[in-house]
Amino acid sequence: MSGIARGRLAEERKAWRKNHPHGFVAKPETLPDGSVNLMVWHCTIPGKAGTDWEGGYYPLTLHFSEDYPSKPPKCKFPQGFFHPNVYPSGTVCLSILNEDSGWRPAITVKQILVGIQDLLDQPNPADPAQTEGYHLFIQDTVEYKRRVRQQAKQYPSLI
Amino acid sequence: MASEGHLSPIKGAKVLMVGAGGIGCELLKTLALSGFQDIHIIDMDTIEVSNLNRQFLFRQSHVGQSKAKVARDAVLNFRPGMSITPHHANVKDPEFNVDFFKQFNVVLNGLDNLDARRHVNRLCLAADVPLVESGTTGFLGQVTVHIKGKTECYECQPKPAPKTYPVCTITSTPSKFVHCIVWAKDLLFAKLFGDKNQENDLNVRSSDATNSSEQAKDVFERRKDEDIGQYGRRIYDHVFVALTDAFSSVSAMASLGLKNPQDKWSLLESTRVFLEALKQFFLKREKEIGNLSFDKDDQLAVEFVTAAANIRAASFGIPLHSLFEAKGIAGNIVHAVATTNAIIAGLIVIEAIKVLQKDTDNYRCGSYLFRMTYCLEHVSRKMLLMPVEPYEPNKSCYVCSETPLLLEINTHRSKLRDFVEKIVKAKLGMNFPLIMHGSNLLYEVGDDLDEDMVANYAANLEKVLSELPSPVNSGTRLTVEDLQQELVCSINIKHRMLLNFHSFWGWGVFIPLQICSDEFDEEKEPDGMVLTGWTQAPAVVGNGGSTSNARQAEAEKDTEVDEISEPSGKKRKLSEVDIPNAADGTGNHKEVKELDDDDDDEIW
Repeated sequence: MSGIARGRLAEERKAWRKNHPHGFVAKPETLPDGSVNLMVWHCTIPGKAGTDWEGGYYPLTLHFSEDYPSKPPKCKFPQGFFHPNVYPSGTVCLSILNEDSGWRPAITVKQILVGIQDLLDQPNPADPAQTEGYHLFIQDTVEYKRRVRQQAKQYPSLI
Repeated sequence: MASEGHLSPIKGAKVLMVGAGGIGCELLKTLALSGFQDIHIIDMDTIEVSNLNRQFLFRQSHVGQSKAKVARDAVLNFRPGMSITPHHANVKDPEFNVDFFKQFNVVLNGLDNLDARRHVNRLCLAADVPLVESGTTGFLGQVTVHIKGKTECYECQPKPAPKTYPVCTITSTPSKFVHCIVWAKDLLFAKLFGDKNQENDLNVRSSDATNSSEQAKDVFERRKDEDIGQYGRRIYDHVFVALTDAFSSVSAMASLGLKNPQDKWSLLESTRVFLEALKQFFLKREKEIGNLSFDKDDQLAVEFVTAAANIRAASFGIPLHSLFEAKGIAGNIVHAVATTNAIIAGLIVIEAIKVLQKDTDNYRCGSYLFRMTYCLEHVSRKMLLMPVEPYEPNKSCYVCSETPLLLEINTHRSKLRDFVEKIVKAKLGMNFPLIMHGSNLLYEVGDDLDEDMVANYAANLEKVLSELPSPVNSGTRLTVEDLQQELVCSINIKHRMLLNFHSFWGWGVFIPLQICSDEFDEEKEPDGMVLTGWTQAPAVVGNGGSTSNARQAEAEKDTEVDEISEPSGKKRKLSEVDIPNAADGTGNHKEVKELDDDDDDEIW
């Protein structure tokens, strides 16, 4: 594999271990055979306090490619995750994660995760990725909020 | 004294001093008197009585307090306007990271161990801050300047390794007093009073191969109900008598008072001390037996080691030494000289000022202002202070260049733990390593890791390299980084078999020194690993449980190359050495018995 991706991921790993925002989790994937793969990170994003997302700890997986950091990682919530900017597959649609618009190689894992946390409560209606979440957000705020709070209960803290 | 040109960079400089001990006290005083205004000091130590003879910022009333803090207060007494920030902490603590180092214009080392020096070197390289490094040993000392990319870094050149001796030199053919000390300290003392499960080369000696059932019984074990005096005599006979044919010639030596540690004991006195010390261990410190390791501050241990080393030295015609001298050798003590520290501190400040001026004078590479200075004990070329031009960085240095290392290792035998302990920690000097094979993390360590990962890495440690989740084989390139040192090393792995003498030839048999080219010589490479392309540096100080029993850090700058066991005529074949068989006595040859009796008269 490219030494650049590995070297950068090792840096990201070290930086995260030394300091990371409270409530967040980000660690390389451990497979049943004991191997720890730096190319896939399992993360948890806490819903922001004071929002409908509060109380939820949302699992997110980052898939890095050989071309990282020239290209951004693919960020995925579980399939069917309820959010206007999340595709049915769970893939997050966010400008800073788009190679052709906002992604820059200097963006860190921490910035990605904090950016996605912000996105949770501040969806971008200009860039919908799923029908249900988008329609409810636009048309039925009460139901939208109910669904968000329901989803928060679905992802309680693991600790 | 200093001109305007000197003063402005000094006044504006922010300086980090690492170490507030022998050099540190002198350094802080000299910095203060030279006009430095902003100094941070890191030292984890507290003041001890033994520091007071040379660390002049400290007084009796300060014993037990932080060196960094007391040094600050002492200097503020005569320079009240200064800003001195003490850190009573280990320089290896995570708070002293690259960002911390970046705030300083220069870092000045007054350290006492290699481990911390290497750590500071790596952080200075990562933060791109000039380092002035120093050290003293008795009358000797040196000051060196390390600037990233311009001069060599602290780890570009090999450092004198703690001396190790071939096992056979220690067990069979000692030629210097230090060999006897190592034998007494690392073999005999450990055997009698240390952990019985520890490997020990005194084990394997048995003269009586015919009596295999008795052989299993440990000669050094005190038998049930065995009288201590008798036990001591038996041990004495076992380890000394068989070797000695010169005993009777020294029997008439007059008895001397043993109060003065500067006195050299006679063989008789040594013998008495040996037996008495052994007795005291069993009578007064029985509970500690099995857990003791040699400590230079343990009076009884020093007495035992001195006596045993002297008896052994007498047997081999090596000059005897006093307790004071033996303690110095055994404990690697070099008596510090305050004047040397003061001279070195002065030189550090001179170099620091030059480094700081460089910042303001548009410095150009190639015309070195800096120099290394060696402080000598004897005049050489009419000089006591020897200036040397700094060297260019070593292009193959694994610390300041990116050259990969080569590790030859048995990937089917060596566990990840061996690699972590003996290579990554002991040789590369890393504390919180991350070990990677491509994008696979094989190992991490630290308090921040969650339980699952800790358990996973713990399991990996016990696996041999070729059976790791991503197997490490010949041709594998591993990447090792440290969480805090900002150092990345690439290590190319080459698989190699271990040649095990002992499985091929029994002990007591003459060992030929023909080694197949791709097999390890266990005598030379006890770890079964060879790391090349790096600057040879000694193991981290304080890891007593290392692989070589016969390890001895020699303080003197002795350039003699370690001798490798040589099958010369001088070497005693172990099978020929007469060792009274303690188990049943049948192994005693006649002449041994006679010697035995003679000695009895002297001793009792």
